Amino acid sequence: MDSKGLSLKAGSLPLLLLLVSNLLLCKSVASLPVCPSGAANCQVSLRDLFDRAVILSHYIHNLSSEMFNEFDKRYAQGKGFFTKTINSCHTSSLPTPDDKEQAQQTKHEDLLNLVLTVLRSWNDPLYHLVAEMRGLQEAPDTILSRAIEIEEQNKQLLEGMEKIVGQVQPGVKENEVYSVWSGLPSLQMADEDTRLFAFYNLLHCLRRDSNKIDNYLKLLKCRLIYNNNC
Amino acid sequence: MDLWKLLLTLAVAGSSDALSGSDDSSGKPKFTKCRSPELETFSCHWTDGVHHSLKSPGFVQLFYNRRSTQEWTQEWKECPDYVSAGENSCYFNSSYTSIWIPYCIKLTSNGGTVDQKCFSVEEIVQPDPPIGLNWTLLNISLTGIHADIQVRWEPPPNADVQKGWIVLEYELQYKEINETQWRMMDPVLSTSVPVYSLRLDKEYEVRVRSRQRNSEKYGEFSEVLYVTLPQMSPLACEEDFQFPWVLIIVFGIFGLTVILFLFIFSKQQRIKMLILPPVPVPKIKGIDPDLFKEGKLEEVNTILAIHDNYKPEFYNDDSWVEFIELDIDDLDEKTEGSDTDRLLSSDHQKSLNILGAKDDDSGRTSCYEPDILETDFNASDVGDGTSEVAQPQRLKGEADLLCLDMKNQNNPSSNDATPATQEPGIILAEENKSRPLLIGGIESTHQAAHTQLSNPSSLANIDFYAQVSDITPAGSVVLSPGQKNKAGISQCDIHPEVVSFCQANFITDNAYFCEADAKKCIAAAPHVEIESRVEPRLNQEDIYITTESLTTTAGRSGTAEEGPSSELPVPDYTSIHIVQSPQGLVLNATALPLSDKEFLSSCGYVSTDQLNKIMP
Repeated sequence: MDSKGLSLKAGSLPLLLLLVSNLLLCKSVASLPVCPSGAANCQVSLRDLFDRAVILSHYIHNLSSEMFNEFDKRYAQGKGFFTKTINSCHTSSLPTPDDKEQAQQTKHEDLLNLVLTVLRSWNDPLYHLVAEMRGLQEAPDTILSRAIEIEEQNKQLLEGMEKIVGQVQPGVKENEVYSVWSGLPSLQMADEDTRLFAFYNLLHCLRRDSNKIDNYLKLLKCRLIYNNNC
Repeated sequence: MDLWKLLLTLAVAGSSDALSGSDDSSGKPKFTKCRSPELETFSCHWTDGVHHSLKSPGFVQLFYNRRSTQEWTQEWKECPDYVSAGENSCYFNSSYTSIWIPYCIKLTSNGGTVDQKCFSVEEIVQPDPPIGLNWTLLNISLTGIHADIQVRWEPPPNADVQKGWIVLEYELQYKEINETQWRMMDPVLSTSVPVYSLRLDKEYEVRVRSRQRNSEKYGEFSEVLYVTLPQMSPLACEEDFQFPWVLIIVFGIFGLTVILFLFIFSKQQRIKMLILPPVPVPKIKGIDPDLFKEGKLEEVNTILAIHDNYKPEFYNDDSWVEFIELDIDDLDEKTEGSDTDRLLSSDHQKSLNILGAKDDDSGRTSCYEPDILETDFNASDVGDGTSEVAQPQRLKGEADLLCLDMKNQNNPSSNDATPATQEPGIILAEENKSRPLLIGGIESTHQAAHTQLSNPSSLANIDFYAQVSDITPAGSVVLSPGQKNKAGISQCDIHPEVVSFCQANFITDNAYFCEADAKKCIAAAPHVEIESRVEPRLNQEDIYITTESLTTTAGRSGTAEEGPSSELPVPDYTSIHIVQSPQGLVLNATALPLSDKEFLSSCGYVSTDQLNKIMP
């Protein structure tokens, strides 16, 4: 009896060691699984959610690009605004990855949270952009309509992202972090040029951030849904 | 920060002023293009100034500055790589490249800034051209003039579309080789696209370029793909038209075969007769044999009633009367079966044709043997009775057949012909149940007469006159046994009461009544039975009424005028008053004068002549 028990123990020990080491190794390398609950509909709905999110982000970026170009053509010709747009955007302080390697090294949960943060940061500025643009002198309808559309779509994208995060990280409640925008006074400046420059800057920042979000989401989609094989 | 901004602005303004206000704008190096092919690296190119002057271009340098954080870096860094992107270029690899971060570069010549530019990397993305163009044939139109192809390519190798870092869209352009204007297709996101409706006799060139989605600028075009479509074989457009001989031959044979079969198996008699002329058959004029086939006795009755038309035909036509050979003398001499045999055998041979004869005049003479044909009706004294409106016996069922059979057997001809004829007789009897052929009946009358004449002498058990009950298709005559012969036949208890009533055995089916017998019956039995016998007979049989039956009917119907008494001689001939088909004939009650004493003496078979004399 004793010898049998000893032999069993001896045989099972390396196996146990192997198991533990595997667990440890796996934990360190990989991030959390996408669907921890393991439900079948989780994967399917995640794919749909990501597809929808990518479509929305792409749409928002298109709108903001067009809006910026139109504004540039209409108001900023010859004023050298571009050189001044070295001004930072209010979201520049967020630790978003700036190239591909950085983005690939960022875990998908962090990346998702960053996207959420940026989206939340733009809620307020978009609202004021629309409000102030109505008062802009001779604002073309195209610019205004696009601004309104962007504001609406941004809200929808935010909702979609929150759903995705809810599926990817169920039960994790993050603090609602976002960057505060303080550019409202400059939008309301009396001086026309200053005001225009403020708009220009805001639109420029909007274009950039929408491009960032679009890129991150496409990256995440290919990584999570298609397993890096888009 | 603000100071830096101000200084930089002034520097840029100054440089731009310097640029615009330079004496030789063309001589200064300028940035031509900065581009990032995959959103991971970028490069900038500039031109050397045209050396109009003797001055050397100077030492050109590029400095860049990027804002990593909220603040600008203080110093300008020099280009890390002047070589990789070619001459007059600066290449920034991935470690120097940050997306979504503003860059500023400046070009200096001999320390003096000649050009400056600020941008973000995501704004200058221009992908490399796609590689690996190839095409496959999708289909060729039915006309053989146009074809569709599918063009495929690979994304540029340095663009990381797999991980989704960059998303590309492509634009395909194609043209014919000798054309100058390229045809453009709409941008697509996939790496293959169909090109429709290319002409097969032309060669095409295809090229593809890509751009980042959302960007405006396309990258360079790929290498040109030459599309040489397969030449369509000229079979489809052959001008010569080969006559389809094979088809014509096949269809011709088929059609001829169909027509031939139609001819052969067609029921159209005309066509058939053209090809296969039928053997002539005897024809009796006057009555359509189809009526007999269909059993339309009413019409036959009607026809008969039109005695103006028909009677002469029937009864004036003595030619067929001549066909009956009456050899009374021969009856004694010859064996019993001789005449019968002859009659039967000849009938056996001929009656088939007789009964199946169509309305064909031409064949009459061929049906009968010469001996029969030539027989003149010499024994008219005896044989006058032979010609008569015969009434073929209608067999009512198997019992009748058996009766006849038995009767025939009881009247042993004891020759080969009789048994042979029995079977056809039976068959014929069965067949002719509903087909009391007048023709057959008439002819059977003669044969009956003949048989009757012959039979009594040869056959012990039958009377001098035996009724021909039927004619078999084989031509044999089926005789009903003599009227005295009935008692012994057990199977023939058809109407025993009649038998019991009448001392003379009436065959109930027998439509012929000898006058004497009728008288006997009338005397022996109440009228009712006889009448009932006769009446239903007429009702059932629907047809041919002998004079005897006429007389009996007359006796029946004319009760007021004529007592059906035996003491009064029932006139043999009664004029037909009314033809009530199918019930029969209503006879005039008046007795007709009997001009010929001959009729009184025998059961009256009326010849046509006599009937004609009698009938009005």
